[in-house]
Amino acid sequence: MSIELPAKSKMRIFVVFLLFISAICGSTNVDTISGEVKIKNVDRIIDCSSQLVKTTSKITLENTGKAPLKNFLLAVESSVKDNLSFLGVKDSNNKDLRLSETVVKGYGDVRFYRVDLKDPLNVGSTAVVVAEAVLTKALQPYPTAITQQEDQLVKFIGNLYFFSPYHVTSQKTNVILNTKTIESFTKVKPFSQLDGTLVYGAYANIGPFTEKELSVHFKNNSPFLTVSRIERLIEVSHWGNIAIEEKIEIEHTGAKLKGPFSRYDYQQDHHSGPASVRSYKTFLPASAADVYYRDTNGNISTSNMKVKKDSVELDLRPRYPLFGGWKTHYTLGYNVPSYEYLYHSGNEYLLKMRVIDHVVDDMQVDELVTKVILPEGAHSIKANFPYPLTRLPDTLHYTYLDTQGRPVITFTKRNVVENHIQDFQLRYTFPTIFMLREPLLVVASLYTLFLCVIIYVRLDFSIHKEAHVKAN
Amino acid sequence: MSLEIESMVRHVSPINPAVFPHLTLLLLSIGIFFTAWFFVYEVTSTKSSRDLFKELLLSLVASLFSGFGILFLLLWVGIYV
Amino acid sequence: MPATIAAKPVNGPDQGIFHNTAGFSTLITVTVLTLAWLAGFASRLFAVIRFESIIHEFDPWFNYRSTAYMVEHGFYNFLNWFDERAWYPLGRIVGGTVYPGLMLTSGTIHWFLHALNIPIHIRDICVFLAPVFSGLTAIATYLLTSELWSRGAGLFAACFIAIVPGYSSRSVAGSYDNEGIAIFALQFTYYLWLKSVKSGSVFWSVCTALSYFYMVSAWGGYVFIINLIPLHVFVLLIMGRFSQRLFVSYTVFYIIGLVFSMQIPFVGFQPIRTSEHMAASGVFALLMAVGALKYLHSLNPKGEWKQLLILGTIVAAGAVFLAVVALTYMGIIAPWSGRFYSLWDTGYAKIHIPIIASVSEHQPTTWSSFFFDLHVLVCTFPVGLWYCIKNINDERVFVALYALSAVYFAGVMVRLMLTLTPVVCVLAGIAFSIILELVLKEEDTTQAPIETEEVKNDKSGKAKKRVQETVQAQDQGPGLYARPGTVIAFMILLMLFSVHCTWATSNAYSSPSIVLASYGNDGSRRILDDFREAYGWLSQNTAEDARIMSWWDYGYQIAGMGNRTTLVDNNTWNNSHIALVGKAMASNETAAYEIMSMLDVDYVLVIFGGAIGYSGDDINKFIWMVRIAEGEHPKDIHEADYFTERGEYRIDAEGSKTMLNCLMYKLSYYRYDSGGSPPGYDRTRNALPGNRGFKLTYLEESYTTEHWLVRIYRVKKRDEFNRPRVPLAKRTIPTSNSISKKTSKRRKGLLKNKPTVVKGKKMRLE
Repeated sequence: MSIELPAKSKMRIFVVFLLFISAICGSTNVDTISGEVKIKNVDRIIDCSSQLVKTTSKITLENTGKAPLKNFLLAVESSVKDNLSFLGVKDSNNKDLRLSETVVKGYGDVRFYRVDLKDPLNVGSTAVVVAEAVLTKALQPYPTAITQQEDQLVKFIGNLYFFSPYHVTSQKTNVILNTKTIESFTKVKPFSQLDGTLVYGAYANIGPFTEKELSVHFKNNSPFLTVSRIERLIEVSHWGNIAIEEKIEIEHTGAKLKGPFSRYDYQQDHHSGPASVRSYKTFLPASAADVYYRDTNGNISTSNMKVKKDSVELDLRPRYPLFGGWKTHYTLGYNVPSYEYLYHSGNEYLLKMRVIDHVVDDMQVDELVTKVILPEGAHSIKANFPYPLTRLPDTLHYTYLDTQGRPVITFTKRNVVENHIQDFQLRYTFPTIFMLREPLLVVASLYTLFLCVIIYVRLDFSIHKEAHVKAN
Repeated sequence: MSLEIESMVRHVSPINPAVFPHLTLLLLSIGIFFTAWFFVYEVTSTKSSRDLFKELLLSLVASLFSGFGILFLLLWVGIYV
Repeated sequence: MPATIAAKPVNGPDQGIFHNTAGFSTLITVTVLTLAWLAGFASRLFAVIRFESIIHEFDPWFNYRSTAYMVEHGFYNFLNWFDERAWYPLGRIVGGTVYPGLMLTSGTIHWFLHALNIPIHIRDICVFLAPVFSGLTAIATYLLTSELWSRGAGLFAACFIAIVPGYSSRSVAGSYDNEGIAIFALQFTYYLWLKSVKSGSVFWSVCTALSYFYMVSAWGGYVFIINLIPLHVFVLLIMGRFSQRLFVSYTVFYIIGLVFSMQIPFVGFQPIRTSEHMAASGVFALLMAVGALKYLHSLNPKGEWKQLLILGTIVAAGAVFLAVVALTYMGIIAPWSGRFYSLWDTGYAKIHIPIIASVSEHQPTTWSSFFFDLHVLVCTFPVGLWYCIKNINDERVFVALYALSAVYFAGVMVRLMLTLTPVVCVLAGIAFSIILELVLKEEDTTQAPIETEEVKNDKSGKAKKRVQETVQAQDQGPGLYARPGTVIAFMILLMLFSVHCTWATSNAYSSPSIVLASYGNDGSRRILDDFREAYGWLSQNTAEDARIMSWWDYGYQIAGMGNRTTLVDNNTWNNSHIALVGKAMASNETAAYEIMSMLDVDYVLVIFGGAIGYSGDDINKFIWMVRIAEGEHPKDIHEADYFTERGEYRIDAEGSKTMLNCLMYKLSYYRYDSGGSPPGYDRTRNALPGNRGFKLTYLEESYTTEHWLVRIYRVKKRDEFNRPRVPLAKRTIPTSNSISKKTSKRRKGLLKNKPTVVKGKKMRLE
């Protein structure tokens, strides 16, 4: 029964769930850098065309040692450590590889990840893996404030070389900017500039942990929208519905607006205010219905909904266009039928839903809080997350016709991007008979009312008895 | 205990959401009818002519139908309890 | 009452469940009242269905904001709430300057629902409070009318009040204002008062006082009750209808009601210190004197003292009157307040208090609005009044006085139409009931005895006689076809009435006014959401403590939706502060800047309807700003300056120079070049603005909404203007000016009155 919930939740206070729970290693791993691994070739693409910096590195590993290689290390420079939002590694078959954070003695400020290969790499042979990293807030607006009609210029500062604990024989880097307006960029030969792309390399024989500044200053008018906080509420009802409500605070974190905002200029043509955001698209699950979009002052009447084959596309227009430094907040809610996400076998239920859903293309989320409200009476709750999340203590939620409250599972994560749109699983036990609790509650309260009437008509409040008797 | 997702079935509502409106109207109208009957009986009957068993029965039927009617009304308007 | 009727078997044979007439009529009564409640509730939902569940207009936003505050912080913190967000820099003690009944009511409902785990947002409770209370008003009206006449008339009256536009104008969903619950309290207090006068029981008098207490807590209109009830007593005394019942009910009501009403912080000692309440105390004293004389008379009932009794009464009345006058002159009792004075002299406000005259709902009522708000009732209620006076008794004196005074007040002020509506419904209900009774009586003979029985309950013997007379009159009766003809005619009349009510509520009274809708040629609807756009922008993108200057109409909305500090708002308690804002708006930019920096203004918000043809904008209200400003600053502002020589108020090239250069004009038309076919055409005033292409020195445009309806300007700091513009090419980026920034700012502050700029010495980039 759910009475045992508080005790359980106490036990779980601030438990950090690690990536791939089945991983053998805890957070106190210590690894050493093997001298027997060499990187033959790295093809790196740094995509700076949105507000995020997405790095895709195609790494060709070579085992020059004497024993088969089971794992290797990836390193992240200390300068981008805090910006790193997501890191994933795939093998040549496009399968995800296990990744765990680790520490190497002597390199305190460098962050290491150990990648476990699916099949050990034989002596002398090579293997290709693809590492994908997403950095948030790595593009700095420069200048930091612009007027309404100016373009937004940003600066990217990164590492010219692939940062690795191993020796890299040959490497090449493409920086995708999607613009021809480049104010300045680092020039280290050999390099070339094609349309909206800078190509660096190939550079030969770069030693381990080499850093050299790569700086690009260019125009980037893509929406710099940061979701400063999103609170996602998932309410499960066994009457066939799952209600989702997202409270979103969003801010334009590009170059700030300097000087006046002129509606006249803004209305003149649609190219004015190039760095501002008029509207953006949010994709909801295809089965989403009863969508609402509002803020504390009520409905936001400027939005469109398009139902597509595999999703519902919402064209959200905030009440006002967002210029640099302007913020807005809103609530977006919808219902989905339970059969899409809820499975059961007897009294055992399993909820499989996204930790976070799409808010805006190339989004960056500072803080995510997801709350799952289970039906009253659900117990033995077990959660399973696709990546590390902080689980907050369980609470109780009281809503319509509740007596003992519904269990609420809360978890939170900072610095989230689109790659984190993955499913979590929640298992719980719920006796089906409990569904009758709510209607019986109503019936009982109504019956009590009727009983009160029955008793009331039998009472006599009058002071003089005789008069009443006479009347009858 | 921990079943795999493949062995589980998708969960659907025990009652098809499409019939919520009909159920609401049917149950609530029966409930209101019995409620009205109950109250008319309470007002018109006198101390001597009152029958406790009839009162209890009427109110039980009225509250049963109204209670379930209210539940489906809530479900119909989107309050998924 | 059911018990007495049930004891008398009316029909012999049983007919199923309806064998008992009492049960049947109770069922009908309950059903009709429930349906009236439902109809009243449903007809008030137009705005919710067309737009959304939202608080309307201006004052409701304040009520909503204080309710939300009370729900969040508790009742006692609410009573002690000092709102520093209003009337900057004065602030407002909210707890002591509101009638808390409204907030308490919705707060209690909120608390109750949340205790039952029903998580309804306080906004929805506020939105739907008035429609729900309209049902309660219908029930209270039913009770009042059945007390006065019969249950049938009560049902008519209940149905009328549920849908009549005169009442729904103030109680549509979202119009969260005091009146919404006060009309219920008013009707219920009157019902209890009649009940207590009829019975002379202390119990009913105490109930009256309690209901009066609720009314006092809810609306300033309680003064109407505390003057009408004494008037009723006074008139009864004059008519020689003094009785122990009257004595008991009034004295108990007065004392308990007085003590209760003084518990409301906003009312405080007013009931014993102001002229508005003196009638009640005077009548109390008079009633005491009459009671004493009657007692003396009863000691020697031979008749010699009769003259003495009359003389004594007159002397007592004169003494009470003189005492009140003397106390007023001595300054112990405050004289009539200006607002009250304007009720007697309709021209008073125009001359002395322009701020009251500037509100459209304080204008005298036009004849058409009587018809618009009451429709057929306005023609039928004199019939009911005539019948009441013809068959007079203690209660009917009351309703006659109620009707006469309410008609007078409704004629003086549009707003007081609201107090007329309930009594019109009561009397029209009586009239319709009489007419139907006349027409239907003979055909349905079985119903006649019940009606007679009911009327017998009345204390007055005359009423009984009347029924017998009418029954006799029925024997001749109207002609064979006249009867169904009359019925059909009245049915049609009632149908037309309900159609009119629905139409009027839907078209005239259901606009939230913060969301506007416009219809295209193809019937498509476009929503103009500029107000919320602007307030949303304010709440998210200005500093937390930013001070917004706007005309007082928008004060509550800025505080409620924008959550920012305002200078003046709809609680117009400080005329000079409002006049200062009016003066700033009416002055030229330089003079306005002095006022604005004196008041620490950060942003100025103006409403400009020129682009979409919205007529309620600030330029159209501007002349009131000028008038109010002139009242306080006659040296600086002259109303005549804003008119052309021919006395026209215009904004085109022929407009007066003062007009074309005042702050309000400039803020409205700054860079306004869109709109109608010639760019910059003002569609509200159908004119091309006279002064265009000007620049602003002391302010800069911060935000303008999509349809130009709301324009927000930022007031520049002293160091931001009067300095040379540095061309882009010459700009250099200061490397470390974090220390020099402060010092240079301070130096700029010293240069305040010397706008001489030393060029090239030091350039600062801000």
